[in-house]
Amino acid sequence: MAAGTRGGQHRECALGRSPLKPPPFDYAAPTTLDEAIGLLAEHAGAEARVLAGGQSLIPMMNFRLAKPGYLVDLRRVAGLAGIRREGDTLVIGAMTRMAEVERSPEVAVAAPLVTEAIGLVAHVPVRNSGTVGGSLAHADPAAELPAVVLALDAKLVAAGPGGTRTIPAGEFFTGPYGTALAPEEILTEVRLPVWPGGHAFTEFSRIHANFAVVAVAALVDADGDRIRRASVALAGVGPTPVRAHSAERALLGTSGDAEAIRGAAQLAVADLSPAGDLHASAETRLTLAQVYLRRGLELAVSRARNER
Amino acid sequence: MTTVDSTTGDRIAADRAASAPPVRPHSAERRWVGQSIRRVEDPKFLRGRGGYIADRITPGTLHAAVLRSPHPHARITGFDVAAAQAAPGVHAVITGAQAAQLCDPMPDFGPDPTRHTWRCLAAEKVRYVGEGVAVVVADSRYLAEDALELIEVGYEPLPAVVDPERALDAGVPLVHEALESNCAYERSFDFGDVDRDFAEADLVIRDRLRWHRSGGQPLETVGAIADYDPGTGGFVIETNTLSFTSYLFMVAAALKVPVNRLDIRPAPAGGSFGSKLFANKPAVIAAMCARATGRKVAYIEDRVDNISNCDHHGSDRLYDVELAVMRDGTMRGIKIDTIDDYGAYIQFGVGHHGNALAQVTGPYTIGSVRYRVRAALTNKNQQGAYRGFGSEVNNWMLEQMVDKAARELDLDPAAIRRKNFIRQFPYYIPTGNVYDSGDYDKVLDKALELADYEHWRAEQKRLREQGRYIGIGLISAQERSVFSATEFWFWFDEPAAPVTSTPESVSLKVDTTGGITAILYSCAFWGNSPETMVAQFVAEEFDCDPYDVAVVYHGSGDGLPATGPGGSRTTVMLAGAVEGAAGKIKAKARRAAAHLLEIDEDDLEWADGGFGVRGDPERRKTLGEIAIMLHLFKHSFPADMTSGLDESQVYDHPWTTMPSADRKDLGVFYPFMGHACHIPVVEVDIETGAVTFLHYAAVHDCGTLVNPRSLAGHIVGGTAQGIGTALYEEFVYDTDGQLLSSSYLDYLIPTAMEVPELAIGHVETPSPYTPHGVKGGGEGGRMMAPAAINTAVNDALAPLGVRLTELPMTPERILTALRASRKKG
Amino acid sequence: MTAISVTVNGRPHTAQVEPRRLLVDFLREDLGLVGTHIGCEHGVCGTCTVLLDGRSIRSCITLAVQADGAEISTVEGLADGAELHPLQDEFSEKQGLQCGYCTPGMLMRASEILAGNPDPSPAEVREAIASNLCRCTGYQFIVEAVLGAAERMRAEKETAS
Repeated sequence: MAAGTRGGQHRECALGRSPLKPPPFDYAAPTTLDEAIGLLAEHAGAEARVLAGGQSLIPMMNFRLAKPGYLVDLRRVAGLAGIRREGDTLVIGAMTRMAEVERSPEVAVAAPLVTEAIGLVAHVPVRNSGTVGGSLAHADPAAELPAVVLALDAKLVAAGPGGTRTIPAGEFFTGPYGTALAPEEILTEVRLPVWPGGHAFTEFSRIHANFAVVAVAALVDADGDRIRRASVALAGVGPTPVRAHSAERALLGTSGDAEAIRGAAQLAVADLSPAGDLHASAETRLTLAQVYLRRGLELAVSRARNER
Repeated sequence: MTTVDSTTGDRIAADRAASAPPVRPHSAERRWVGQSIRRVEDPKFLRGRGGYIADRITPGTLHAAVLRSPHPHARITGFDVAAAQAAPGVHAVITGAQAAQLCDPMPDFGPDPTRHTWRCLAAEKVRYVGEGVAVVVADSRYLAEDALELIEVGYEPLPAVVDPERALDAGVPLVHEALESNCAYERSFDFGDVDRDFAEADLVIRDRLRWHRSGGQPLETVGAIADYDPGTGGFVIETNTLSFTSYLFMVAAALKVPVNRLDIRPAPAGGSFGSKLFANKPAVIAAMCARATGRKVAYIEDRVDNISNCDHHGSDRLYDVELAVMRDGTMRGIKIDTIDDYGAYIQFGVGHHGNALAQVTGPYTIGSVRYRVRAALTNKNQQGAYRGFGSEVNNWMLEQMVDKAARELDLDPAAIRRKNFIRQFPYYIPTGNVYDSGDYDKVLDKALELADYEHWRAEQKRLREQGRYIGIGLISAQERSVFSATEFWFWFDEPAAPVTSTPESVSLKVDTTGGITAILYSCAFWGNSPETMVAQFVAEEFDCDPYDVAVVYHGSGDGLPATGPGGSRTTVMLAGAVEGAAGKIKAKARRAAAHLLEIDEDDLEWADGGFGVRGDPERRKTLGEIAIMLHLFKHSFPADMTSGLDESQVYDHPWTTMPSADRKDLGVFYPFMGHACHIPVVEVDIETGAVTFLHYAAVHDCGTLVNPRSLAGHIVGGTAQGIGTALYEEFVYDTDGQLLSSSYLDYLIPTAMEVPELAIGHVETPSPYTPHGVKGGGEGGRMMAPAAINTAVNDALAPLGVRLTELPMTPERILTALRASRKKG
Repeated sequence: MTAISVTVNGRPHTAQVEPRRLLVDFLREDLGLVGTHIGCEHGVCGTCTVLLDGRSIRSCITLAVQADGAEISTVEGLADGAELHPLQDEFSEKQGLQCGYCTPGMLMRASEILAGNPDPSPAEVREAIASNLCRCTGYQFIVEAVLGAAERMRAEKETAS
């Protein structure tokens, strides 16, 4: 099974499994965060898991690739959904439905990269149920939101039996479908530094709104004619989303013209070694990464300029 | 024999003239045929009351789930089912070995069924990933799937055969040891004088082409609910597939019951596109489980069951082709060498190639054909039917060759086609099949106009200067309709079963109030509109409102032989059956009316829903007045007139002839020939390999249209599936035989964003031989689109020296081709 | 077993369900509302679309317990007795259905689209219905039907006001 490729887990479903009904599990829908954490700890032996929107987890359970013995449903836990601004930080509660984030004027102003990216996450019906926290905790290597929080250097707040802690995005994604969350920890909110413009989220998918083969989250900030800040993250090119630090460094101080962007894209791709799958070989993923880095940066730069 | 001497030629011509049905005059005035009326089927579907198979499961019905093989090729060494049997809610666990005792092999029209035996569950060996090895019956599907996980199967993996060319090599693992080969069929046919045509040609165009398998994948899977009555020893099976009722004796044999103890009742199908054609495995599994448990059992495939185990993957072909042409563009002959990867079984033999041979030379006056076909068996799910049934692949292959010839001869794509168009009808192609009528220039003209062809050529030039790659595809190709059974056996000099019946039956009942009911047998609802079509035909015959016609589907136990949808036969066959039954109704009604009006039958004429006296129309009897008398007042009529007013027509294929003994003439087997031209305009993003549509014009000629809007809907839907085949859909097996595309995450079905709005045009060149001049047309969209889109992409990439010869044209394949051409420099 | 209370097409229901029971199976088998269909059971095709509190969801990847306290709308609730909803009527008029299997999900999605955007452009409709696969129609007549229904519903609203 190729790491870093979307859907890799789902292909196992042909391996002797016919099912498309989930296996049995016990279930609770607590009303407080402490109760939820307590249930996760109590049922750790049964492989307890959090249920957010279920848009990633339930298909896996239908395929019987995930078989948690206990589901802790967060739908009734107060205080986990909502969008608010705290100075230079945009805070999104983990249980905020993606559709709400998509529609939010606050998000559009404070972090338009999020707005653009979230519109590319599957389709409206999935975004109506799916949550920001659920998508991040699922950590699909080709998913949009992990790349976004990585590009924004967001902080992810987790609550567990030992209290609350803040995990930088750069440390949150540990492998394909793997995060730094402990089994009894629950992601409660994402704290995104405000970056009001100079953004672009672009991706290549084979079918409209299907999972991305390669996705690029690009952010630039210009001072006069010079780029003074750049942040670029990619999805679909490794076991986790990756930051393209070499590209970012290469852009600093440049005007962000075509040549600078091309050079940055080339540098970024040189650091990548994606795996291939039936949708795209490793070589094609590198090609697509380079193309979308270029297109994404061009768009981000033009938006940065327009905002002066 | 290199030439047909004049005596033989005359005799052939005379035989052909004799076998053709009479040319029929067609009424210029039609009231209902030709109207885009709302479909009579719709109200129930719109309200969620469609009555699909899964909707018919009653409380207390048990549910089956099938355990499938994770290995592409393995011996089954043993089972441990004890834990599964003891699991909650489980009523039975049946392994493949046990099933082999309970059931005989599945119906199989392949070349050698005793040696490539196909069973409802694998017995001693599994031959593809997903093949069923056991079935669990439980109180619910959830519990059945729980129990599946408790079954332990011993497998001894064997090396898998995946590549169809390698499968034919010596010394490779055998899919069926008993067959002693992975080549299930091989033969080469010559039609016309191939060697002469090639010797005389100015140029031979060569190519190697690859079409990978995709499939119908309707949103509803195949399902069955079976009930066994130990008292009668018979089964009643509800299922969303009912076709070829005369061949259901084979299903009865599989279930080891007499034919007249098997009653299969059709439920409407949520789509088929061929994949529900004679799809009897779920029915056999459900029935076997019903008999074993003594309870009603439902087996509804889930999506993964269906993708991996449906027995209806589409064609999977490799072609080596040579086209002999003259410098002026005249096409003389074609040599086709094709290997078709049939998977692990071959239920329909090479009938898919019969579909190809029906129109192998397209709309062109190509004079000779050499056709070599090899059926390779591999460790994959077997092929079945998919819209086009193997003819759409031939269309694609031929049009790529015509396209290549045009480029090499520096001829305009429309011009080279016009140079070779058939213009005299009926026209017999080299294989012996006939094209009844057509007007290919008219279709091409209309398509060019609809496509705004000159505008797009100018745009192409303009945008190329901006570094954008626009391509215009243009194909003209055939869409045959109404197959004959001969195409499944003329492959053999001594076929085991040279069957020739493909009837369709309709019964019409006029009730006491004059209301009409039409009964269809085996003509299941697939999303085509048999009810609307029949209602329109009946309304045309009897001057009634089509919405007043009741249409019901009877099960196999209720009687008349029928074949069902397939090969776009429904329109013509229902038209003929309705015409026949209506004629009998009118004959009896005329006689009754004559008696009631005390007048000679010859003095009566049918008009406005009844019989009236010629010259004195006030003296008339409506159908209703006649009907009530016939139903209730026997003594008002001559003694030999029976009560009631209902008649049936078993309508056989109106034009099919036997192949010659030497197989140089395959006879007429697909005579009602439609035609179409598709002109898509695409843009290829050469950085990503993405293909987007800028425009798409499609003009079809399927003879007289019964419901133009319905046909247009089929054109769009078929084109959408063709887009899938051309760009997105593929059942991908890796080199180890693992099925990588086993869910909709990886088997990519086009959404509304991948399918453009089509500009649709209709041309109606009636068939001289069918009621109203109708021909079939349901498959046409998919029979054209892959060919058209391939030529469009190639047109876009021609300046870069890139030509795609493999479908689907995925971004991977396009980028790989672009990289290769850059390396060549 | 978990207790749930759900309102479906305006009618309240209480039931005891296994936590793993999918909403689509609850609607079809427990409530007998077979109009919502199963296409893929992994959340891709949209055949199972219903509305939950007015928003479209995929009932094959939603647990029945996740609908506790919610209002569900299915295709059975669209028509007003004998009178079809404008969307249903337009689907028939424009022949936006052939086999009818995707139709209930498509209708529910379309009702959400028009509730949020009563005057969509053809391109907007096409992009919005991309969430729901149809294998028969190629989408063209579905787009026409949704546009036709939008026009009728706008006119009806104007007449009413």
